[in-house]
Amino acid sequence: MLKQEINELLTQTGPGTPMGDLFRQYWLPALLADELPDNDAPPVRVKLLSERLIAFRDSEGRYGLIDEFCAHRGVSLWFGRNEESGLRCAYHGWKYDVTGQCIEVPSEPDERHSSLCKKIKLKSYPLVKIGDVLWAYMGDPEKTPDLPEWEFATVPPEQTYTSKRWQECNWLQALEGGIDSSHVSWLHSGGLRDDPLFKGAQGNKYNLADRRPFFEVVEADGGLFIGARRNAEEGHYYWRITPWVMPNFTLIPPRGDYPIHGHFWVPIDDENCWTYSFDYHTVRPLTEAELQAMRDGHGVHNEYVPGTFRPLQNKDNDYMMDREAQKRGETYSGIKGIAMQDASLQESMGPIVDRTKEKLVSTDTGIIMARQKLWKAVEALRDEGVRPPGVDAEHHKVRSAAVVIPKDQAFIDASREALTVRPGVRHASV
Amino acid sequence: MAATAAEARFRIDYPDQTTRASRIIALDQQAADVVRRLSGQDWRGGRFLVFEDVLPVNGSGHDQVDATLRTADGSRTLLSKELEDADVAVAIATEHVRPEAAAVIGDACAARMIMSAGLILAGSEQPDEAVSALRPNAMVLLILQDENDIPPILTALRV
Repeated sequence: MLKQEINELLTQTGPGTPMGDLFRQYWLPALLADELPDNDAPPVRVKLLSERLIAFRDSEGRYGLIDEFCAHRGVSLWFGRNEESGLRCAYHGWKYDVTGQCIEVPSEPDERHSSLCKKIKLKSYPLVKIGDVLWAYMGDPEKTPDLPEWEFATVPPEQTYTSKRWQECNWLQALEGGIDSSHVSWLHSGGLRDDPLFKGAQGNKYNLADRRPFFEVVEADGGLFIGARRNAEEGHYYWRITPWVMPNFTLIPPRGDYPIHGHFWVPIDDENCWTYSFDYHTVRPLTEAELQAMRDGHGVHNEYVPGTFRPLQNKDNDYMMDREAQKRGETYSGIKGIAMQDASLQESMGPIVDRTKEKLVSTDTGIIMARQKLWKAVEALRDEGVRPPGVDAEHHKVRSAAVVIPKDQAFIDASREALTVRPGVRHASV
Repeated sequence: MAATAAEARFRIDYPDQTTRASRIIALDQQAADVVRRLSGQDWRGGRFLVFEDVLPVNGSGHDQVDATLRTADGSRTLLSKELEDADVAVAIATEHVRPEAAAVIGDACAARMIMSAGLILAGSEQPDEAVSALRPNAMVLLILQDENDIPPILTALRV
């Protein structure tokens, strides 16, 4: 359980909130690079941390993320014309560059034009492309951190694939699903047998044979490592190790030679978040079959309502629940696909789950510890201006791992190299 | 839809009447100091104990051995008695842990199907021995750098 005031502290991320201030210390995924595929592409509405913004790519290929609304009369710039190095409001032709600076007010006389423009600047944030993602920094410009160095975003393009989906609940309960390793043996048991991005791996047999894993939670510079161990061959444990880097990055331990999967959970507002889901391989290109499986919504990805980022299975159609498939044992919950199995249950908790009523058990200690670290970081930032864990790009250089090691070895010692990014070295997986 | 904000207000609201019987047990002297400090705080009925000695048992029952424990007020009790109505046992240890203490408590919890957790305060040294001692005996192990993290963890577990 969590006290109501702490639940509110951790779940509210709008401007001026303590958790919102924490999120504004980081580079965050703002949209997929494919959403702005060309210079002068149509602008895209972006809502992040309860701020309504517009993203665009100008005629020179520069990215901008600015206040959605024109300074003149509050019209949405989504209706604007992206042309000749700026975004022009469709109402009266006012034009803004990628920094939000007004550069044209065509209705005004020439002699007033220059001085008026100089005084008009929309709120803007830097937006940069790294990998398949456009990243925004929404904090104090004086404290802009180094650019992100997450491995999924820095491997060659042919080794990585990212999708995103709208999730209709607060970011924290979505994140908590990502660090709750104990649900995998139950909710996702069907996927371990059938999913083209999981099935057949040696490690799956340990997962399915031992449904009550033991857990070890170890603090890391950037967050936590959560190790789930199951029995393996004589004298050995099978460990699945999940890194969480503050505040909202998780990796799923890999299976066999399949890619590593992971997520970013980015608040849209307090009742919605973007779930960025990625797959990358550390040393080889993704195969065409793997890419097709990802596009088809397998693994951590999903199918969409055409033309949107809303999952095809969503709360309005009860996630296309299939009770017969559930009875046949094909899926544990009756919901198809690992991503939507998670999302359906997390959304069912309500927009912001009431954590004062929950009954946590010992296997939830990874979640408990993550909340505790978030809370401490929020207070340290608010009270002393301490830069939170996970901002430093060195903290980004983590991997998940699935390893079999002797019973008497601590996973954190035996797997230290495996849990660190080593460019060109294959990830540790069974 | 049931998951909307508008519908959330129709969730049945009733007082939480479930209390969880928790036993917090220090496994070594340094951990005993931590448990003593914790016991002075406001809890929902958790009992704070310090492991003293292994006690051989005659006869048939759950256990081949029992253990003596010291309560917060200084009196002596038995592990088997403390676990009679316990829902969760949380062992607290440092690098100076006594491995037999972890084993006795772990075995007793496993025999009674009581949820168990181990919190290890790392201090300045790597707590390798404590991790080795507790790993087979706790469903969850947390290795902590800061004693102040313990109260929120216990609160979350409804101690």
